[in-house]
Amino acid sequence: MHMANELLSVPVAAGTLAIAAGGLGLICRKVSKIVSSDKLPLMGILGAFIFAAQMVNFQLPAMPGTSGHMVGAVLLAIILGPHLAAIVISSVIIVQCLIFQDGGLLALGCNIINMALVPSYVGYFLYKVVTAGQSSSRRTYIGAMLACLVALETGAVLVPVEAALSGVLAVPFSTFLVTMIGVHFLVGLVEGLVTVAVLSYLQQVRPDLVLDSLPGKIRLSRKTVLVTLLVFAMIAAAGLSLLASKMPDGLEWSYRERPNQPDFKPIIANENTTITAVDQLQSKYTLLPDYTMRGASADTSKGWTSFAGVSGSLLTMLVVWAGMSLMRRKQAKTLSSS
Amino acid sequence: MHHAYIDKFAYQDSPIHRLDARVKFVITVVFTAVVISLPRTTVSILFCYAVGPFVVLVMGGIPLRFVLKHILYVSPFVLVLALTSPWYDRTAATIIFGPWIWHTTVGWMRCWSILGKFVVTMLALIALISTTRFANLLAGLQQLGVPRLLVIQMGFLYRYIFLLIDSAHHILRARAARSAGGVAFGRGAKFAAAMVGSLFVRSIDTAEHINSAMQARGFDGNWRTINRLQVRVVDYVFVAIAVSFILGLYLFVKPLLG
Repeated sequence: MHMANELLSVPVAAGTLAIAAGGLGLICRKVSKIVSSDKLPLMGILGAFIFAAQMVNFQLPAMPGTSGHMVGAVLLAIILGPHLAAIVISSVIIVQCLIFQDGGLLALGCNIINMALVPSYVGYFLYKVVTAGQSSSRRTYIGAMLACLVALETGAVLVPVEAALSGVLAVPFSTFLVTMIGVHFLVGLVEGLVTVAVLSYLQQVRPDLVLDSLPGKIRLSRKTVLVTLLVFAMIAAAGLSLLASKMPDGLEWSYRERPNQPDFKPIIANENTTITAVDQLQSKYTLLPDYTMRGASADTSKGWTSFAGVSGSLLTMLVVWAGMSLMRRKQAKTLSSS
Repeated sequence: MHHAYIDKFAYQDSPIHRLDARVKFVITVVFTAVVISLPRTTVSILFCYAVGPFVVLVMGGIPLRFVLKHILYVSPFVLVLALTSPWYDRTAATIIFGPWIWHTTVGWMRCWSILGKFVVTMLALIALISTTRFANLLAGLQQLGVPRLLVIQMGFLYRYIFLLIDSAHHILRARAARSAGGVAFGRGAKFAAAMVGSLFVRSIDTAEHINSAMQARGFDGNWRTINRLQVRVVDYVFVAIAVSFILGLYLFVKPLLG
């Protein structure tokens, strides 16, 4: 579910990054007030635990040759509480992006929202609602199962939405959405099963971990959870709708006629370079007329320019590489002779 | 494990390694943003953009085979994404490239453009990570405004990833040794859950040991490093070169190539 850079446009990437950063900033501020320094190693290690747990794979049913592994967000949210889980899983996603190049740098905001913030809070909230403070094992299991399903599904639905907002989808939105929902229903089901199994294992081996007495656990009233969730949803909705409404309309607005402002001249024919640049960009996005025309007639010179550009770039890389490896060899020689 | 030495080249020394972590990080983000914002069917300009991270990688002494292997390793998802475009967009297009003329579809051009952008942005990210120590990068991120708690969290995480991956390997090997020919889903998931559970318990115990060790040595929630980040003249030169490279290509070469 890691999104790549290529699924996003820069405005959406920036917007989601801002939302994720704002959310994480808030959580960090809140948590650093409550958490003392002796909980920090625990959080760090649980992040590493998520990495290790994701390596434990197992055979999936009805699909020979494929294997699944758990994501771990909901498990952590149930045991640590949503705030700490959100921080831990965000850190996992950032490290996955930076060190393991899983998911793009620009898509970091989306990935943090989809896979850390939303699953932690949605999952924890559902789990708390279902268990309702009782520790009967049936409630625990149903709660965990439901939390996994809904939390992963919510995160998955956000992926096509973000891609559609960016306007980069070649696949029709509905196809993408249905595929994501279908695939993540299965993923959520497996996640739920494993999470329940892990919880029942922990209840046998270390019941203290599941029963609210973990050293790092922060207790939350349901009201706090609800309010946080609401605020989050509002920020997300406001941010996204702002993006959605601003992008196309602002652009159109800038050069369209305005009937209630007769003094305003539409600037379609304006010499303004930014507007013409935007126009050019748009014509490239729609593209069809441009390219067929180019092929049909005069503009063969552009073909040569791009040829020159590509071969020039390749040549530059070759020269740099050759130069550096020559220098290295020389250095190695002088080092070994001296 | 292929992950274990992912940033082993970060500990080398070269002019690129000596650049300030903040400078490299910001330039990488800007570079990625610019490349991603290029029109969706451009391919040729991507070759020009590739020169930047390529030069950084070569100057940093990062073996190109390592880089290519790594890009291949993370590519499957993007490959799927790219290959859906020829399927959905079959508008005919003609490309003139030097003496050659190709008749193809817009979908294929998009496909190549997505793959090209992926490779170029990955080159940039790998160039950043394999020439910057993670601790320095974290210190830089903190100065750029990332919350202290998150930075400390990532520091601990990075410190213990390989330790826990190691224990996961032990558990996996033990399972492999005891389950010849694979296990059915029901029992397999149960085993996996027990493995994850015992990993969890082990992690928490480790955390308690580490915590008491750190408390005993006076840890108060702050990382202290000898390493001071400072922006030197070289960094300004690097910024100037990088910015003029990125902007120059965008403003002057892109209109030419179309």
